[in-house]
Amino acid sequence: MPSIDPITRDLWQVIAATDEVPVGLVEITTLLDVRLALTRDNDGNPVVWRRTDEEQGDEIDPETVLDRLPVITGYGYIWTSLGTPPKELFPIPEYAEADRKNMSCGSIGLAVSAPRAVENFLDMGHFPYVHTDILGAEPHTEVKEYDVEVSEERDEVLATRCKFIQPRAAKSATEAMEVEYVYRVPHPFCSVLYKSCPEDENRRDVIAIFLQPMTEERCRAHLLQSMIDSTSTITDLRRFQQTIFGQDKPILENQYPKRLPLDPRAETPIRADKSAIAYRRWLSQKGITYGVIPMAS
Amino acid sequence: MTITLYDFELSGNCYKLRLLMSILKLRYNIVPVDFYPDRQHKADWFLRLNPFGQLPVLKDDDLILSDSGAILAYLAKKYDESGQWFPNDPAVTAEVLRWHAVADDITSTASAARLALGFFYDFDIEKAQKGAHRIFRLMDEHLWFGEREGRDWLCSPDHPTTADIACFPYVMLSEEGGISRQDYPALRRWTDRVRRIPGFMVMSGIFPAGRAAEES
Amino acid sequence: MTLSLSDPTWYPIASSDDLPFRHVYQGQLLGRELAVWRADDGNVNVWENRCLHRGVRLSIGINEGGELKCQYHGWRYANRSAGCTYIPAHPADAPARRIQNRTYPVREAYGLIWSAANDEQAFRPFAGAEGHDWFALRPMPVNAAPEDVLAALAGLAPDDQPADLLPGLAVRFGGTWYFVQPVDAGRAVIRGLLREQPADAVATLRHYNETLSKLRDRLERAAARKPAPEPLQPTFEKLSADLATMPDIAIPRGNTITVVVRRKWTSADGVIGFELAARNGHLPTFQPGAHIDLHLPNGMTRQYSITNGPGELMSYIIGVKQESASKGGSKVLVETVREGDLLSISEPRNNFPLRRDAVRTVLIAGGIGITPLLSMARFLDKSALPYELHYFTRAGEQVAFRGDLEALHGKVILHTGLPRAEIGTTIASALGQWSMAQHVYVCGPGPMLETVRDTATAQGWPEESIHFEYFRNDKVIDNSSAFDVELARSAMTLHVPSGKTIMEVMRDAGLTVPSSCEQGACGTCLTTVIEGEVDHQDVYLNRSEKASNTCMMTCVSRAKSARLVLDI
Ligand SMILES: N[C@@H](CCC(=O)N[C@@H](CS)C(=O)NCC(=O)O)C(=O)O
Ligand code: FES
Ligand SMILES: [Fe+2]
Repeated sequence: MPSIDPITRDLWQVIAATDEVPVGLVEITTLLDVRLALTRDNDGNPVVWRRTDEEQGDEIDPETVLDRLPVITGYGYIWTSLGTPPKELFPIPEYAEADRKNMSCGSIGLAVSAPRAVENFLDMGHFPYVHTDILGAEPHTEVKEYDVEVSEERDEVLATRCKFIQPRAAKSATEAMEVEYVYRVPHPFCSVLYKSCPEDENRRDVIAIFLQPMTEERCRAHLLQSMIDSTSTITDLRRFQQTIFGQDKPILENQYPKRLPLDPRAETPIRADKSAIAYRRWLSQKGITYGVIPMAS
Repeated sequence: MTITLYDFELSGNCYKLRLLMSILKLRYNIVPVDFYPDRQHKADWFLRLNPFGQLPVLKDDDLILSDSGAILAYLAKKYDESGQWFPNDPAVTAEVLRWHAVADDITSTASAARLALGFFYDFDIEKAQKGAHRIFRLMDEHLWFGEREGRDWLCSPDHPTTADIACFPYVMLSEEGGISRQDYPALRRWTDRVRRIPGFMVMSGIFPAGRAAEES
Repeated sequence: MTLSLSDPTWYPIASSDDLPFRHVYQGQLLGRELAVWRADDGNVNVWENRCLHRGVRLSIGINEGGELKCQYHGWRYANRSAGCTYIPAHPADAPARRIQNRTYPVREAYGLIWSAANDEQAFRPFAGAEGHDWFALRPMPVNAAPEDVLAALAGLAPDDQPADLLPGLAVRFGGTWYFVQPVDAGRAVIRGLLREQPADAVATLRHYNETLSKLRDRLERAAARKPAPEPLQPTFEKLSADLATMPDIAIPRGNTITVVVRRKWTSADGVIGFELAARNGHLPTFQPGAHIDLHLPNGMTRQYSITNGPGELMSYIIGVKQESASKGGSKVLVETVREGDLLSISEPRNNFPLRRDAVRTVLIAGGIGITPLLSMARFLDKSALPYELHYFTRAGEQVAFRGDLEALHGKVILHTGLPRAEIGTTIASALGQWSMAQHVYVCGPGPMLETVRDTATAQGWPEESIHFEYFRNDKVIDNSSAFDVELARSAMTLHVPSGKTIMEVMRDAGLTVPSSCEQGACGTCLTTVIEGEVDHQDVYLNRSEKASNTCMMTCVSRAKSARLVLDI
């Protein structure tokens, strides 16, 4: 079994959407090559443990589970850790705003490492080719100059002033517009984006991707939307996000190698990839080795 | 006529109908059904439309239909003036239905593997993958000899039929189920041809083909 | 026998029939996945199945006829060289660095496509190959070890006709040859050839297909009882170090290449066409708008635009104007260079990059200025992008490359013999009012450039949408500044007074400084800048290169700072 680096071990890792875990029934999943079982007790609180012989759908009395892993809930999801996690999850303050539609959009399996999926989430250059006629369309393919920094105080990668011409930026969009994005990577396997909101020009829609590294080369993408949209239903909004994600999936699954190479000489970066370069460097400096091909020392 | 499709974007079976309706230039409404994660196809309101609890369902005015293969036949017979998508000739009808049945086998193998890997259904992945490879081998052989005999499509007419539409989506989505098409070159070429049918549209997970070489 | 990643043997990897036009075939040899595609010129490309940008399989990309387009970010790679010609995220830049995908050797013969893991061995036909009209069987993929497949094939031979084991995992008996393509440790493809065309092709194919299917089923049953062999573990080669860093602008100084004049012809009244062919293999990747420096027998250097379309790398075709007034340059070419002569050219360089992100592209050519625009039109053509090409000449006989223009699918409008006044109005209506994502490219005589520039500006075209290229520096050089230059490697500091160029001062100090045009147009005196701020006055470097402040032309450019440090 591959070794888990200490940074990864001590992080909170997402494993399921809270509402989708039935009370008193076993759900099974894999995290960092470890087989896990989870359920919720009568109060709805999640219980997570290392799976032994439980099967999917078994009935279980959560009281009988003694050897539990740490658990925290946040942004509609259950998070656990194989090590000693920090007190709190990274912040997404917008999630608490009362008028937002917050929703999970399904947990989807991907045959690629979690960091590859994060990098795809940060990437604007693929919009016209992969999300044709929705997030981009030829001939408008240019990725203009934008800013990237690694925020010291919050220990996260931040890309700002990212702009792209989009035919249909959101469910609520009706015409093409130049959309501005901000991207955050507050966790090695999670990213949050803020984009211009068609309904209210002073606010931003928030979309996040939380990746559950199942193995080094396979992950589960948990999607969160926190939208300002007074007309669409949750089903509509989910459908929009799943359409987008369903387009990324075949690209990600055709990427080789499946782990993210951190050696700068493995792939060819261009200016548009500034955020990806910063992300790779950040992972490298942190000492993450799970799901990546570390730089040869 | 008002056509309404009860639809899930990531479903290949629903896509079969979107594809044919796009080719036939039919206008229709979509009622999105949250198949995942909400399992709305098992909700009471949906079971009243289709007691089998399966997408897709199509409503044409008051008529309610289910099963993608059956609906393809219905749409073609009712709305395809050219008569080519579901030909009347008895022998060809039998051929088309034969491949509709293969399409269901592809759903129960290639699509099952995809549901297991992508949506965490509790299915036997290896068995599903093996089953899909068995079908793809036969299709590749059929299409390879077709190319030698001047037949570009699954059935004998010199144009595509609903058989091609019914089999296409889960062949194209097979890699999401861990089923490579590397060993099926004739099958891969056929997917290029399907993607070049006038009126073709994509779904998430399926990319368009490039243009055919221009006539010179 | 174990398979080796470095096995240099040529193996068949596909049938010729597997590669219809505009298709990308997914193959594999010795554990390495391959993207295999036939360009519209018939050439077969065998590339590593992985885009250099972000590692996406190229077999899911799009064969555009002369280029392969990656599905993820639309990067284009040229037929033959696998060099990257276009990066859509930065449409205004010419990919400066030599981004080139890994290619494998290829040969199409006997109905099969052959390749090898490396080019240590030249392709040699198998024994007895010559002189027959070969007939390829349906390939049969088998999930079993290649050596087991070979042994089983040998077992098919009838008792009275023992199998001949041939080099390269092949076996023959009677008129049937079987080649085993080692896909991976546990996977193979049987590729059979018959020595002659059978009477009933389809019946024969079915017969062999049945035999081989049974063999495959037996082999796979046996393989399933054994532990699966470990797949080969090919590694991806590292990129060159200069590709690993971001962007910076490195100007390929390039090597010179010797080419042979394959053809010289009169393309039109006053225009001579030259076809410059590689002596072996193909020429380097170029982008539309690119030119080469041609080193003439008399020591002069001249620039000529490449007229070729995408992926046409076997030779470059240029057009040379037969000028009576021309002093020595084109005159030497036109009068003394003959077919069969060798010439030396630079690698292609692009100061006139074509954006492929326009909703409308207007190409305006005057006289010999057609050359770069013909190349652009050809690229746009292959990608089915809309464009209008306006070509102005004084008379119909002066229309060069007429046949090539007729083969284009876009809008090509010839304007012959227009009176001066009408040229202006024609240009004005050709341009029309500007709207978003429209671009105009112009190449022609100076006055025409000015007309297009002024008219376009008057009709609302912003500066970034008007593209032109200078082969001559018509700017007035301001040589009033005075400053010091420090020559880092020569360890000397020189003072450049006003009225003298850096080049002159260096020559006065006894240094040899190569030059050609001495007007900041040809690039011969390109020098690396280590420190100081350059006052660029040349027309050779493009805007981003100038902004990088890392290089300069010492024949005309000067310093804005008091001191410049040069890498000389
Ligand atoms: N034979 C049916 C199969 C349809 C089918 O499998 N639908 C899937 C969605 S793509 C479904 O609803 N599955 C849920 C279930 O079978 O319970 C058809 O072709 O329509
Ligand atoms: S991965 Fe091929 S263009 Fe980006
Ligand atoms: Fe995407």
